[in-house]
Amino acid sequence: MSNKAKQLPRRQFLKGALSAAGAAVLAPTIIPSSALGLDGAVAPSERVVVGGIGIGGRGTYDLGCFLEQKDVQFVAVCDVKEKRRTAVKKIADEKYGNENCATYVDFRELLDRKDIDAVLIATGPNWHATMAMHAAKAGKDMYCEKPVTKNISQSLILAETMRRTGRVFQAGTQRRNLPHFAFACELARTGKLGKLKKVYAHPAGMQALMSGWLIPETEPDKEVVDWNMYLGPAAWRPFNPKLLDGFNFEKGGGFIGAFNGGGVLEWGSHCVDLCQWAVGDCAPPVEYNAPKDGELVARYENGCELIFREKGWIPLGSCPVRFEGETGWVEAGDSGKLVLSSPELLAGREVAEIGGYPATFHVRDFLDCVKTRGLPKGNADAACNAHIACHAANVALSLGRTVKYDNKTNEFIDDVQANRFRSEALREPWRL
Amino acid sequence: MPTTRLFIRFTRAAVCLAAMLAVVATSARAADDIKASSEKEQELLAILRSEAPGADKAIACKQLAIHGSDAAVPDLAKLLSDAQFASWARIALEAIPGSVVDEALRKATDSLDGNLLVGTINSIGVRRDANAVDILATRLQDKDAEVASAAAVALGRIGNDAAAKSLRQSLASAPVSVRSAVAEGCVLCAERLHAAGKSADAVAIYDEVRKADVPKQRIIEGTRGAILARSPQEGLPLLLEQFRSADKALFQLALGTAREFPGNDVDKALATEMTRATPDRAALIIQAMADRKETVVLAAVIAAAGSGPKPVRLSAIGALGRVGDVSCLPLLLDAATDADADLAQAAKGTLADLPGAKVDAQIVALLAKAEGKKYPLLLELVGKRRIEATAALLKAMDHADKAVRGIALIALGETVTLKNLSVLVTQVIAPKRAEDAPVAQLALKTASIRMPDREACAAELTTALDRSPAASKSVLLEILGDVGGTKALNTIGLAAKSKDAQLQDVGSRLLGKWNSVEAAPVLLDLAKTAPEEKYQVRALRGYIGLVRKFPMADQERAAMCQKAFEASRQPAEQKLVLDVIKLHPGVETLKLAIKTMQVADLKDEATQATLVVAQKLGAKGVDVRELLNTAGLDKVKLEIIKAEYGSGATQRDVTAVLQKQAGDLPLITLASASYNANFGGDPLPGSAKQLKVQYRINGKAGEASFPEDALIVLPMPK
Repeated sequence: MSNKAKQLPRRQFLKGALSAAGAAVLAPTIIPSSALGLDGAVAPSERVVVGGIGIGGRGTYDLGCFLEQKDVQFVAVCDVKEKRRTAVKKIADEKYGNENCATYVDFRELLDRKDIDAVLIATGPNWHATMAMHAAKAGKDMYCEKPVTKNISQSLILAETMRRTGRVFQAGTQRRNLPHFAFACELARTGKLGKLKKVYAHPAGMQALMSGWLIPETEPDKEVVDWNMYLGPAAWRPFNPKLLDGFNFEKGGGFIGAFNGGGVLEWGSHCVDLCQWAVGDCAPPVEYNAPKDGELVARYENGCELIFREKGWIPLGSCPVRFEGETGWVEAGDSGKLVLSSPELLAGREVAEIGGYPATFHVRDFLDCVKTRGLPKGNADAACNAHIACHAANVALSLGRTVKYDNKTNEFIDDVQANRFRSEALREPWRL
Repeated sequence: MPTTRLFIRFTRAAVCLAAMLAVVATSARAADDIKASSEKEQELLAILRSEAPGADKAIACKQLAIHGSDAAVPDLAKLLSDAQFASWARIALEAIPGSVVDEALRKATDSLDGNLLVGTINSIGVRRDANAVDILATRLQDKDAEVASAAAVALGRIGNDAAAKSLRQSLASAPVSVRSAVAEGCVLCAERLHAAGKSADAVAIYDEVRKADVPKQRIIEGTRGAILARSPQEGLPLLLEQFRSADKALFQLALGTAREFPGNDVDKALATEMTRATPDRAALIIQAMADRKETVVLAAVIAAAGSGPKPVRLSAIGALGRVGDVSCLPLLLDAATDADADLAQAAKGTLADLPGAKVDAQIVALLAKAEGKKYPLLLELVGKRRIEATAALLKAMDHADKAVRGIALIALGETVTLKNLSVLVTQVIAPKRAEDAPVAQLALKTASIRMPDREACAAELTTALDRSPAASKSVLLEILGDVGGTKALNTIGLAAKSKDAQLQDVGSRLLGKWNSVEAAPVLLDLAKTAPEEKYQVRALRGYIGLVRKFPMADQERAAMCQKAFEASRQPAEQKLVLDVIKLHPGVETLKLAIKTMQVADLKDEATQATLVVAQKLGAKGVDVRELLNTAGLDKVKLEIIKAEYGSGATQRDVTAVLQKQAGDLPLITLASASYNANFGGDPLPGSAKQLKVQYRINGKAGEASFPEDALIVLPMPK
């Protein structure tokens, strides 16, 4: 996180950036600050007791955001890797000046703890949806890193499960709580750009990613790395240490990219998610064409186009988006900058520039909703729609032709081949 | 025939023809797809039947999910008992449509046990095979709790009457270890029944689950379903029951479910419930009320904001920011001037957010006759809400209270247009009261950097600069620096070259940190012509900073680096240029580094830059051998101590090869560009490999790693 963002009190920071569109984009502080732990006086009954699962690089960043919150008590970590378990326990114990952070290899034991209210899920993407479903069924709220799902079916089941179980779900789509992205989406959503014609996402890599089945090596002791649990719902393959770090199971697997997300989903779960927000979180596009000249064009039911762009973006940092209406356009990216067709769209306001993509506000949004039971910005329905758009785009990419999607039946229309991409079996004994 | 009718008939015919062509095209594509898939299927099955490596069989299974048909089922079904391949086989089996797969999966349950049986049952559930209900109902009694649980959830996914019946029968009788899954299955069934219009049946099941001896989370799911599956009239009392529950989890369930509840009776009920709940709970109920934006009882939220326990008031005041309107204004203005700081702060926040043009109009109207605490509050709101009220703000600048004048100035900074910018300029260069000057400067800066037309704004400030007293000129220059753009750049450039020492200092400092390549020519000019050497150095460093910081083509960067060299009078700046070259390796910058090696004072640094750039380019696959041959690099004593090539635990000793090729430069040229060709073949096909070298140059030890096929330029050990 940039120092600038760190220094700004949350409320002031958000307000300065958001009010330009004439309406609050983010929910205001909603319950007394003492209850939210913002003034240092947090009653035990108001604390959110949190456990972490699969806390690696990104997860450690998320964990830092959680630990910053005074009303969070982080009590347990689960990881199939001993090194990570130990490292995260050290962070938590140092924070609290004790040795109370419990460690687990099997996440189900952590979920069985009745004192834990919420979990941070930051495993590899292979586990995200399955683990989120387990957490929900165990009565835990959750902040789950992205990509959240591996296919269309998982996306739908995720949303249904969160509704059914009444759990609070926040996808790790932290840009939904960043002022300049929120402002850009607000301009699009509230008609300030005129009737919306095109929304552009930039997944930066529309191809299958390699992973898969490597040469077998000697499996380490279970205490060091529990390979079986690491594989989890992914189809079996022999142990190889290269698959342990920075490896996203089944995002292509050297097999068929569209089965599990491929490159589209890696960044699409962010930038397509922002496009979905810009179009009012409506149902995903109904038509997806094969890529041409670095662009894959999808079309919403109302005619607005969602364009996945491979290259050729203005320098706005990673995850840039562009929203084009009949009377104006806006672009935003991780540089924190906004570019607008007309300065008048700012309505005389400044928008704070924030480098990077701090997740603190997103975590705070989650914790507030844990208490109020409201819907966080990256809720399961929103995540479901954005992920379906990415998965469906991947199907068009894999088949090299247009596919049409029916949001009522959640099937590709008259397309047996495309429909086979909608789901994938999980390895036993796992289920959603 | 009338033209219109002809046109309609033609259009109809064209539409029919287009539709027919589309059908033909689709059919042709489908036929082609089927043929291609059939051929592909046979290829894939041949792999499954062969002694192919496991990885190939796994891929074959995955591809059969796309290309497989009934013909693939026997081969795939055989793998269901294979612990390593069952999951791969089920990927295909779950995807292939038709009853043959269903039959195979059902049959497999006869002979499987443990996890493999669980996986097969899970697949049956995913496929919602209604013919499997009897098998699954029997498996509900399985001694293996995991198998019984899988059967329960699969029955829930099938969700027909028969499945529901067997699950309901098991709800009370199942062992504790299975009961949670049975309840989950029941809830899944109830959902399907409710969606199919059988709400009474669904309610019955939900009620059974919420009253069963099952884990709390299952009770929550049953209760939620029981509330929402009932008619609103019947569901509402059950919802309110949860609001009154002493159990926190059920109260939380009520908060969530209230947001989903249909109709607007619930809004009235929530308004009442809020008044009878404890303050902490009431504060949360208000948030649920405000999330029902269309039907919220606003009067109840306003009342809660106006009086009562503080936590409730705070929650209600916050909620008004989302659901309030102009009618809330009097109450919020009172709260914003309350003696309680928390309430006042919350109210100010809501006043800034409260949506609607009517709110703006009312604030302006109130401002005209406001007194006391309300007056500065309204001025502040004008600024925060960006309301056009320049006349009122100008009037406030004559107020006797300095604090009020300050608020008015800040509000002007936030609202003034270019047309009235001169008002703030005047406050800076000729303030009525000197004590207001600092706030006026801040306000002018705020206003200037938000002007849509920054060139026009810079022109206005430049004009002001000419008539400004010396003391204010620096302030205006600083603001111009924040505004940026061409006009500002030129104005500041002129100031830096003026005869005024203070302007030279401020101007050169602002240019030195300019954040656009547009400043490069101005800085280069200043580097040569600034009145004092220290400002020349400052300008040159600013110029080098631009070359370092901004993306540009290699050729352009090399040309700018060359100009920086030429303008440099001291080695310190020349070394900064070499640092830029090292940071941005390119063929043109490499040529410049090699050329610079001829400068005696810079020979060491230039040589290092040459090697660094060459190494980085080599790693990217750029062949720089010829260029390096022209560099005339100093000879060194190079000793290769150890060299290994490979990946992870698989390493090949290639020390001898490198020793043979090592010469008297920190650079090793292999016979072929391919490492594999030089090092006796690929030690680990399909993996990314590295070459690790331990060496000594002139007696100093060093280590370096190179990605496969990179140029081997050994860094000089320090």
